[in-house]
Amino acid sequence: MTSTYGATATSPKRTMSSTSSTKGPLRTKILLLGQRRSGKTSIKEVLFNALPPKQTFYLETTMRVVKHAYDTVIPLEIWDCPGNITVDTLGAPLSQFSALIFVIDIRDLYKQPISKLVEFIIAAYHDNPQLLVEVFVHKAEKLQEDDKIENFRQIQERVQDHLMERECEQMPYNFHLTSVYDHSLHEAFSKVLHKLVHSLPFLEDLLNVFCANSQSPKAFLFDAASRLYVATDASPVDSATHNLCCDYLSMLNAFGPLYRSPTSSTTRLRIPAAEPSPDNPTPSETKDRFYPCAAASLHPSAPGTTLTYHLITPHLALLALVPTGVYEGRRGLLEYNVVFFREGVQEICAVEHEARGG
Amino acid sequence: MKKKVLLMGASGSGKTSMRSLIFSNNPASLTARLGATIDVEQNHVRFLGDLILNLWDCGGQDAFMDSYLTTQRSTIFQHVGVLIYVFDVETNEMHKDLEYYRDCLDGLRQFSPEAAVFLLVHKMDLARDKGATFERKKKELQEHSEKQGQPIPSVTVFGTSIYDESLYRAWSSIVHTLIPNAAVLSKHLTIFAEACSATEVILFERTTFLVIATSSPPTSPPRETAPFQELEATRYERTSELIKAFKHSCSRVREEFHSLEMELPEFSAVLDEMTKNTYVLIIVHDPTIETAALKLNIRMARRKFEELQGLT
Repeated sequence: MTSTYGATATSPKRTMSSTSSTKGPLRTKILLLGQRRSGKTSIKEVLFNALPPKQTFYLETTMRVVKHAYDTVIPLEIWDCPGNITVDTLGAPLSQFSALIFVIDIRDLYKQPISKLVEFIIAAYHDNPQLLVEVFVHKAEKLQEDDKIENFRQIQERVQDHLMERECEQMPYNFHLTSVYDHSLHEAFSKVLHKLVHSLPFLEDLLNVFCANSQSPKAFLFDAASRLYVATDASPVDSATHNLCCDYLSMLNAFGPLYRSPTSSTTRLRIPAAEPSPDNPTPSETKDRFYPCAAASLHPSAPGTTLTYHLITPHLALLALVPTGVYEGRRGLLEYNVVFFREGVQEICAVEHEARGG
Repeated sequence: MKKKVLLMGASGSGKTSMRSLIFSNNPASLTARLGATIDVEQNHVRFLGDLILNLWDCGGQDAFMDSYLTTQRSTIFQHVGVLIYVFDVETNEMHKDLEYYRDCLDGLRQFSPEAAVFLLVHKMDLARDKGATFERKKKELQEHSEKQGQPIPSVTVFGTSIYDESLYRAWSSIVHTLIPNAAVLSKHLTIFAEACSATEVILFERTTFLVIATSSPPTSPPRETAPFQELEATRYERTSELIKAFKHSCSRVREEFHSLEMELPEFSAVLDEMTKNTYVLIIVHDPTIETAALKLNIRMARRKFEELQGLT
């Protein structure tokens, strides 16, 4: 598996076309654009700084481009831009970016934001036709169900019309209906992230193998802090299950610091090392490390489901639905599968790390 | 044993909202759908087997209040175990609120002089400077609870909000005053904690997830008391809030939350059913203790705790 991965890693990639002046790994850049007060900073803060959605109301207007570095399965850099920015004032060519997320407030007047979005799409068409363009129709919670769908449809139609007029139909783009108050933002951003992770097929393969061998109907590989899922197995994603996993992760994240005790933690310090070192990934060393895990049983009697959580790397966690009978009766085998899965993911991450020169 | 709990306060102060959050497992976001309470809504909540909370949610409109204080006076204020009076922190009619409150206290002195009184300064999430606002309100309320020549009822003031854990803190301390054998439970939890090498053991009521009793800090080996004292002060109510939220997530996918075990970098924990109406949470900081052993201990202790609650 690593050899095939190595082959794709050396193929020319748009993500790595930038010349990085700063030290550290090469980051995949995501551009966050939209009108003033459309919710760009809210999105960034809720996802990557764990800001409670209710607090987004108090965020200040962004006056200049803020670059937010975030390490997950791949190192990301999110450029949070002020509302008045244009292709020329951005300060970097569009070819440097891998994805462009354009945020439109669903209650806004659509004329201005759409003409701006079209400008960016056309510029991207000339500079970087491979740029992913994703439109987040945001603040969906503010409207009733019917209005929401109607406005969402209208925005899509208008963007399409504008692009036809300008003869720029080949540029692909996607629309998502999002809100910071429910799981739609996490789901939409996860989908964007999937397109940026080049090792996705290998992660998915690992998840498929894990699910097949553990009788698990569904498993997700989540970024633990942001609660975005990086990959999932081949079975279709059902929103309800995704939301449950998301909530489970947020509960576990909140539990951690609750009973933390500064004095006793020294005796318990078995936290995994910051990064798996690519030089000597000796398996004996990984086995000694402590990886947090948890399990929640979702039904009092036998044929129920257990929701398991296993930390895989310092950033990533495996969440799986497992039949309670399997979890209780064959826990050793399940843990063995997790170790096997973990070794695979860590190898992929190490290769990625190396390829980016980190 | 039946305990009468009066829930009073001005119309729109949030009485029914908090009742729906604590006793019906509804999320805070759904409280906007609740309508005004007409007259008195009575509820019986079975709490810990033999304790039944008889909850009187009293509609707060002036006409109802006047009738509580006059024609219904003896019905309302008789046999009261606890009076919970809710004040909206942002109210414009504090003067009127206080007047009704003083009248209710008079009623209580007349018919149930033994009752405990809890004052909740509610909707604290709307207050600007939370600390200062709460202190000012608390002082004001305490002053108004006193009356010349009359015995001062035991009054406790809490700042609460349905959007954070403060509501669970207030309600846990309210139900604590109603549980007859809280001290005995606490003693046995301490023994249980010692048997599990646990830092702490917490007993929750099953449906509300309010804290019933906790183990007391271990006294014998002094080195072990250190981590206990340094634990987060709001941990009990935060736990209630987190578990309730997750229970709600589970119910949305038609699953029922049953138990939880965690091995986190700083501690291990097991949350499981203790008796048919309680849950127990064991927190262990010793890395050599396995969660399976804790689960076994819970199974072994189950009989004893059923006995303590008079369930056998």
